[in-house]
Amino acid sequence: MAETAVAAKSSSVEVVYRGIFQKTLANRICRGLVVAARKDGRVGTAFARYGDSPERNGVPAKNFAVVASDGDELEKSLAKYEPAIVDVSICVDDVMCKGIESWAWYGIQPINKLVREGGFLLVTSDRSPEELLQFTHQKSYDWTLAVIPSPKREGVFAPDGTASLAGLWVYNDDNTDYRCMAAVTRVAPEIVSIDAVEEYVREQTKDEDRVKQARDAYDNLRILAVKGGQGNAHFYEQYEKPGWTQMREGIIVEAMKVGTRNPVYKKWTARTRRPLIDFDKCIKCTLCWLHCPDECFEVTPDGTYEVVYEACIGCSICEEVCPVENCIKMVNELEFDHNDSLYEMSKADPDGYRKLLEKHGFPVAEGVK
Amino acid sequence: MATQELIKLDPIKTVKQVPYTEYFVSGHRTCQGCESALVMRYIAKAAGPRSIVLGSTGCMYVANTSYYTTPWVVPWMHTQLGSAGSAATGTAAGLKALMRKGKIKNERINVIAFCGDGGGADMGLGAISAALTHDEYNFMVILYDNESYANTDIQLSGMTPWGAVTTFSPTGKAKRIMHKRWKKNVPGMMAAGHPETRYVASACASYGVDLMNKMRKGLELGGPTFLHTLDPCPKGWHYDPQFSHELGKLAVETGIWPLFEVEDNILRLTGTTKSIAEGRFQRKPVREYLMRQGRFAHFTDEDIEFFQKKIDRQWDDWVIPGVIAFGVEGLKALNKTLMEQQKG
Amino acid sequence: MAVSAVKPLEKLLEQEELITGCEAIAHAIRLADCDVVAAYPIRPYDGVMQAVAKMIANGDLDTEYIVAEGEHSQFEIVKHASAVGSRVFVGSSGVGWFYAFEAIAVTAGLRLPVVAMVGNRALDDPGAFGVEHNDALAVRDLGWMLTWVDTAQEALDRTLMAYKVAENMRVSLPCAVSADGAFLTHSQHLVKVPPQDAVKRFLPAYNLGDRLLHPDNPITIAPQVDQDWLMEIRKQNDAAMKRARGVIQAAHEEFKEIFGRGGDNPFVEEYMTDDADVVFFGQGTLAMPARVAVRRMREQGKKVGFVRLKWFRPFPSEEIASILPRFKAVAVIDRDYSFGSPYHGGVLYTEIKSALYSAPTQPPILGYVCGLGGREVTTEDLELISGITFKAGESGEQDNEVRWIGVRE
Repeated sequence: MAETAVAAKSSSVEVVYRGIFQKTLANRICRGLVVAARKDGRVGTAFARYGDSPERNGVPAKNFAVVASDGDELEKSLAKYEPAIVDVSICVDDVMCKGIESWAWYGIQPINKLVREGGFLLVTSDRSPEELLQFTHQKSYDWTLAVIPSPKREGVFAPDGTASLAGLWVYNDDNTDYRCMAAVTRVAPEIVSIDAVEEYVREQTKDEDRVKQARDAYDNLRILAVKGGQGNAHFYEQYEKPGWTQMREGIIVEAMKVGTRNPVYKKWTARTRRPLIDFDKCIKCTLCWLHCPDECFEVTPDGTYEVVYEACIGCSICEEVCPVENCIKMVNELEFDHNDSLYEMSKADPDGYRKLLEKHGFPVAEGVK
Repeated sequence: MATQELIKLDPIKTVKQVPYTEYFVSGHRTCQGCESALVMRYIAKAAGPRSIVLGSTGCMYVANTSYYTTPWVVPWMHTQLGSAGSAATGTAAGLKALMRKGKIKNERINVIAFCGDGGGADMGLGAISAALTHDEYNFMVILYDNESYANTDIQLSGMTPWGAVTTFSPTGKAKRIMHKRWKKNVPGMMAAGHPETRYVASACASYGVDLMNKMRKGLELGGPTFLHTLDPCPKGWHYDPQFSHELGKLAVETGIWPLFEVEDNILRLTGTTKSIAEGRFQRKPVREYLMRQGRFAHFTDEDIEFFQKKIDRQWDDWVIPGVIAFGVEGLKALNKTLMEQQKG
Repeated sequence: MAVSAVKPLEKLLEQEELITGCEAIAHAIRLADCDVVAAYPIRPYDGVMQAVAKMIANGDLDTEYIVAEGEHSQFEIVKHASAVGSRVFVGSSGVGWFYAFEAIAVTAGLRLPVVAMVGNRALDDPGAFGVEHNDALAVRDLGWMLTWVDTAQEALDRTLMAYKVAENMRVSLPCAVSADGAFLTHSQHLVKVPPQDAVKRFLPAYNLGDRLLHPDNPITIAPQVDQDWLMEIRKQNDAAMKRARGVIQAAHEEFKEIFGRGGDNPFVEEYMTDDADVVFFGQGTLAMPARVAVRRMREQGKKVGFVRLKWFRPFPSEEIASILPRFKAVAVIDRDYSFGSPYHGGVLYTEIKSALYSAPTQPPILGYVCGLGGREVTTEDLELISGITFKAGESGEQDNEVRWIGVRE
């Protein structure tokens, strides 16, 4: 279904980010766009999606910037809870191309859900746009996917990912914010000009090297025009909300049954990395299972433990508590296009599974059957 | 049938004996590496299916039970921020009356009320104190302490460590440290102040079996009981979630968070804390714990030294290390005999 | 109404006792076989908790009696006891009721049929023990049913009715029975105390059904919601409060059938109104001086009557809109204040005016604030009020000045 394009006089940008880890980053991008657009004589507003707060570490959240030619135009956007469609969507962890689920939502949404016809999805990544399109959901109309090459990464948060991550109190000041802003000017100069962004960075940092960094993203943006129908065709189940006559009175929901998992909220879109297990190395000590805060591990018929990937948030505690070297390793989530049981794969195709492990840095098997 | 496995709450001797069945299942909406969620899981696992859990407002309410879904297999009900004590009392009293009058089947139902540090150590302290005097009712109050109002975006609570950055105690040009209150010693206070409470303990999810056993012991002993857990919070403490388990261990190993239990007025230090007290484990410097967390990133060497001295005093001068904050010197003057016993 | 097969008074062997309003409510608690009672001291409501304690000590009542460490806990305790299936009783006065405000709000949100007594008392500061209705009225928007009683007999009867209505699953809302401090809580009346078996017939056992919090019925109660859900939940409460009207009517009829008391209309009581030109309108123990004044003025040939409101929530808009337009003018007497409200009137005044807006005709409604802080409302005050109101009735013009009566200038 084609959505109507927004009026030319006002434009919306969303930043989809990892809760807490990228809270400051998302806020800096959206604020930066509005402040820079002032230099072009435009007005604007920036706000975080209220429903995402309080944010959870890793759980996808959104921040918006709306830039308009005048106050009346801007007010049209302010009168809404959040934009229904956006001109530019910025995704600051490429893993989220698989889909996102805010903790307040029901059902997994495509990363480009709000991108309008002819609009843009910008992703910070080391991968090519063609690669990311395999994960990104198709739309009925044409749109554009563009990759902002990642800046040099530092820090300990999720080292196998490509996203710029940090904690709540110390910002990972690696120019990702300025690079995203510059990328916006390339695809949507009507929002803000590259000159305005460069001037903004100069004012903020008094550092010409950072201005260059921003310009680099502008120059090296990898743009891929996407036709309607191109991309990932697998959509997730959507959730119907009942009305007041169907809801149970007394604010009651049915308890979960033993052995089941939340059918509506899966949690996996909150992870940047997933644990991969060498079942041959598992000594059945139970520690990964015992210390998992998300009840992800299940015992296999062999007595080893496997991960239920739909439920895993990717915290890495299992890797940390596992007493055996190279038994559990965290691997970038984009290396996988499914949440199927890897234990079953390891049984069905032991050699294939061995190769998979080796591909992801597990040592070559030494006489293990 | 799985639901029969935990009617009698026997101690868990090894990790292999930890019950497999989950009564708090996945799909809750907590952070990556949330140790408080792990505490919830242990609570449900240790207590089993014949339980009612009451949850105060806080992370473990908001992030766990988003409407129309729930992670709880056992019956669960929200209670107000300061109401863990009164919720436990009301639920236990209601069940007792109905059972006595023959209105419902007379059986053992575990009543467990949890609260965060804001709900338990700040707002709900009085209600928990009152609850712990009701020795005619059986329940356990669990205070999961992640050292801030974490759900509302990390504001300082009475349990936030000295000097930590929170959204109410940021670090700035004029003031490097805004939060200068020392954390309350809640389990010590609960034990000392409620002599008829048969069980008070501290725990940490990094020692999961110990935590579950303390829970079971409290529930088995009966009457009102109290368990306080220290839960590393990757969001508020600022560290990579993979280190949640390790930070819990460091809190204990540095002597900042002593593990102990008070059973029928008999105090026992447990686990690593016991080893420290008995000289079998060398306390680690607090620096190893503090410098792993972004909330202390603004600390100078002097700040760390100050923190270390406070912890040293807690171990060297207190009547019971880390538990009862009365200096040994005063006691010596009053009662030499007791001092000798203390040394022995 | 169908004619009852039971002749009430022949069957009933009620015992007459000289007791206070508080003691009368305590009898209702005993007769309702309450399972959990939570107490905390504050005058004047706490007389009821003293009476309940005495009953327990004497073996007349088997209930968990919990003395909380504050009103917030007091109300939270009964809320949770109610959720596991216990019939509960609680109460407070003045600022004590306000200290429990959070718990009071959530009890209605949770749809738990807690029954509370409010011994109406002025709010601090300054501390005062006497009656004002602002304490109970403060919760008027939250989903509590609110009812005011006039005599100790009515206090007993209405408390039983409160359980019956609150626990009806079509309603399932908490109910507060308000009794004026001192005038009712601490004055002794002759009260007919019904026998247990008759009460049992009227009041079935409390049954929460599939909303019971118990391991045999595993449910999650009150998870966190967002803007996607809250409006639907509020709408459920709205619908429950709307259904309460019919449930109150039915309970009223059934009560009359068994006990032979309750008057013609469950929501309002009219006194000497048949040919009245002017009526006083109010609630609670104002009825006593009002009836005296009406009789005295009738002797002087003045056509005055009195209309007493019995249920404030749900508000009987239909009755108000059909009864009050019969008169030439109405004097609404508020034992409360609502500073800065429309025309600076009291709460009743504002509500009555609102309810009358859609009536075919609107008589002048005059507002009077009287008897605050337990000050007596005298027959002289009421004569003064009637004089002013009669004038408005004769002119037929709305007089928007709200007058404070009995206040020193």
